Amino acid sequence: MKVTLFATCLVDMFQSNVGKATVELLERLGCEIDFPESQVCCGQPAYNSGYVKESKEAMKKMIQTFEHAEYIVCPSGSCAFMFHEYQHVFKGDPVWEPKAKKLADKTYELTQFIVDVLKVEDVGAQLEGKATYHTSCHMTRLLGVKKAPMTLLSNVKGLEFTELPGKEQCCGFGGTFSVKMSQISEQMVDEKVHHVEETDAEYLIGADAGCLMNIGGRINRQGKPIKVMHIAEVLNSRTFSFQ
Amino acid sequence: MTGTIQNRESFLNNIARQLGRDRLKEPLQKPEWKYNPQDKVLADATVDDLVEVLESHCEKINTTFITTTKAGLTVALNEAVKNYGGGPVVTWKDERFTHWGLNDLFNNEWPKQGLEYHEWDYTSGDDNIRRAEQANVGITISEVTLAESATVVLFSSKDRGRTVSFLPKTYIALVPKSSIVPRMTQAAKKMREMHQDGQRVPACVNFISGPSNSADIELQLVVGVHGPFKATYILIDDL
Amino acid sequence: MPMKIGNENFSERVGKGINNSFMRGAVAGAQDNIGARRLHAVEELGNWEEWRSHGEEIRQHVLENLDYYLEQLSENIANRGGNVYFASTPEEANDYIRGVIKKKRAKKVVKSKSMVTEEINLNSSLEDIGCEVIETDLGEYILQIDDHDPPSHIVAPALHKNKEQVRDVFTEKLGYKKSSDPTELAWHAREMLRQDYLTADVGITGCNFAVAETGSFALVTNEGNADLVTSLPKTQITVMGMERIVPSFEELEVLVSMLTRSAVGQKLPSYVTVLTGPREAQDVDGPEEFHLVIVDNGRSKILGTEFQSVLQCIRCAACVNACPVYRHVGGHSYGSIYSGPIGAVLSPLLGGYDDYKELPYASTLCGACTEVCPVKIPLHELLHKHRQVIVEKEGRAPVSEKLLMKAFGLGAASPTLYKWGSKLAPSAMNPFTTDDKISKGPGPLKAWTDVRDFPAPNKERFRDWYKNREKGESKS
Repeated sequence: MKVTLFATCLVDMFQSNVGKATVELLERLGCEIDFPESQVCCGQPAYNSGYVKESKEAMKKMIQTFEHAEYIVCPSGSCAFMFHEYQHVFKGDPVWEPKAKKLADKTYELTQFIVDVLKVEDVGAQLEGKATYHTSCHMTRLLGVKKAPMTLLSNVKGLEFTELPGKEQCCGFGGTFSVKMSQISEQMVDEKVHHVEETDAEYLIGADAGCLMNIGGRINRQGKPIKVMHIAEVLNSRTFSFQ
Repeated sequence: MTGTIQNRESFLNNIARQLGRDRLKEPLQKPEWKYNPQDKVLADATVDDLVEVLESHCEKINTTFITTTKAGLTVALNEAVKNYGGGPVVTWKDERFTHWGLNDLFNNEWPKQGLEYHEWDYTSGDDNIRRAEQANVGITISEVTLAESATVVLFSSKDRGRTVSFLPKTYIALVPKSSIVPRMTQAAKKMREMHQDGQRVPACVNFISGPSNSADIELQLVVGVHGPFKATYILIDDL
Repeated sequence: MPMKIGNENFSERVGKGINNSFMRGAVAGAQDNIGARRLHAVEELGNWEEWRSHGEEIRQHVLENLDYYLEQLSENIANRGGNVYFASTPEEANDYIRGVIKKKRAKKVVKSKSMVTEEINLNSSLEDIGCEVIETDLGEYILQIDDHDPPSHIVAPALHKNKEQVRDVFTEKLGYKKSSDPTELAWHAREMLRQDYLTADVGITGCNFAVAETGSFALVTNEGNADLVTSLPKTQITVMGMERIVPSFEELEVLVSMLTRSAVGQKLPSYVTVLTGPREAQDVDGPEEFHLVIVDNGRSKILGTEFQSVLQCIRCAACVNACPVYRHVGGHSYGSIYSGPIGAVLSPLLGGYDDYKELPYASTLCGACTEVCPVKIPLHELLHKHRQVIVEKEGRAPVSEKLLMKAFGLGAASPTLYKWGSKLAPSAMNPFTTDDKISKGPGPLKAWTDVRDFPAPNKERFRDWYKNREKGESKS
């Protein structure tokens, strides 16, 4: 099966490990990877800040870049959701709305793709240790992917799982919110880190680069002994001790 | 007597203009709603199932629930009033009390015991309110009883004062088993039918579920804020 | 008080909120407690999504036909002997109500909780003509005697106060001598207020829902205060926001069921009261004279716009209780009597962007509000629409942000620019980087690094790794 990877700009620039893990994981599951070089950012930062006109240019570029794809897979719920959102942004546009709809129909978040399309629930991963999982808002509420990550994680050998208290609460990332409203964002991410600590987890796992950058950044700043991992890295783990 | 209506035309014209159309002048039929989940709630429950639902919800709303027969009502009501510390008692003026054989308790038994009793009498005006305010127990009758939420529904009239259920320290509702329905849906339908049949909707319809309460201070439940401190429902098996 | 509360700017208000540790504990506790109760109540009910769709279709239908239903309502109320006044502005509403008060030579008014009367600043308008106005909802009563402290939550107005603070207010203002036990406090208020009900000349209420077909309206309380307000004074005035209306009892029932479950997780509250006109000829209690004041105050301007769905709101505050931002900043931070997500959408519409332009940004667009809304208002989408209006129509965004976004538009849309930009990022960031992280970032990054570390851009971007791997030069 040919899979076209939408890596996201955060992964491309800051978390290339996540991109690598995604490629290796999908290949291991029998997919052939295609990565169109002309992909840019999905436009979400500008779009969410109210700059719809500016973001439309990025959106059009992305629609063109992925026009040929059969399946688009993205290791970020929020960015995958943004692809689904394009059709609403271009509503009423005779050229772009149908294209945007096609784009949405073939776009999947990574875990959603593995469970719903590849029909795989156990990817044969192994990771020793205690973990908890952060459910990202956009992925859970807006994209509606709730079960897939949990299904996959529950089959990772050696992983002892504890539910994150207050898991439905936003971590305070919110894209530009984190800098525009940093005062409030700080309180939100603090509560999130506090909840992660309550679980005694060694690993905080998530499926969204933005949230992980936020929570991870706070954990690092406070020097907490918690390792932040993207779910692609976890599912790509083959040994008992990561790294 | 018809009341006044002021400023209406310009106000409504503005609304229509904002909605981008002319004023609606033809009678509007309510649409067939796509969804009607309310009809499914407790749809298959028998009357006895509903009594069970009612009873179990009473517990959650700090309301005492008693069942009795028509023959046992006098004793049950007398006991309930005693449990609340006796009189003064105030009730509606309602033929159903006579029908259920309560006249003797109200008019002979209680006066003999020195328990003060007042039956709502519209001819004496505000005196009724003064008495309700001083009463220890208020007693009224449920027209429709909602099992789901343990709610009694009261229709006001000249003989059925609103304040009988609010001003006394404690409250007792007589609940005919025949009045039980699954939920508010059926009460609303009944009220709408009354209106469509050309009957006047009562000036006040009270849906009462247990005693007065508040959680406005630190979300801690306080029972008895403006209305009664305690409530009892007496279910009468009239079927 | 009017809709706007306080004179501090947004950031000062937020700073104050964040530093109020009691308030934050109370709000977090309330959110967790009420949130769990709400969830339990809707799960127990079953088919909740169907209920939401029903709630939505009812509210949308009403808004689309609002002029018709308001006309029908007013006719039916007048037929039952009630008086109806349509007020476009707060001034019109207040003038009419003052006129009634003066005609009745009323000295004392008892009032049950009403957001719309707060919005039009009714209380002070009546106090100006020498009328005593007494709030009877326990929470509102506490705030009122505490020199008009503003409400911080639509349903639980005094949520930000602890019981010791309430006791101190009662001691100072009412000569209260007992403990801080909520029951003792509430019972003291009961005693004080009982006398007020019995001696008031006029009762004023809000309106949860009006019923067009019968000219009725419903009041929903747990305390029973609205019942005493509407059964003891001889004159009653009810004030409603013009959108709070349903076609018939059947829809009333549905929305009340959803309101109380969403607000506090109750199947029904202790008291739902449906009133139709003034008392009947021989009735002893209930008002002899009834006035309904229907208020626009900026609502009609929302009709027919992309924000129309906000008028579907039934004021349950489920969105407030779910909001992670409200959780940390509290109600007063919004600077409006309408707080939380609904406040952040509604306040700029009713009060303008001058006072409320920051509110639409006080959200991560996490969608928790939209998820719990019983009538399916897409709250987070409306917040986003506000941002778009602020940027594109109002032109109020900061210049630096505009430039940044302009650059974004260029960069993101051009693969070449994007590639070069991202390639150069590591060296651009080099001066700020230690151990693969940035602790003190430049420009907009500073707001980020004030709170948390920022990762240094990867020296080998994912796309480089991929390209090299394709060429067979690198296998990881």
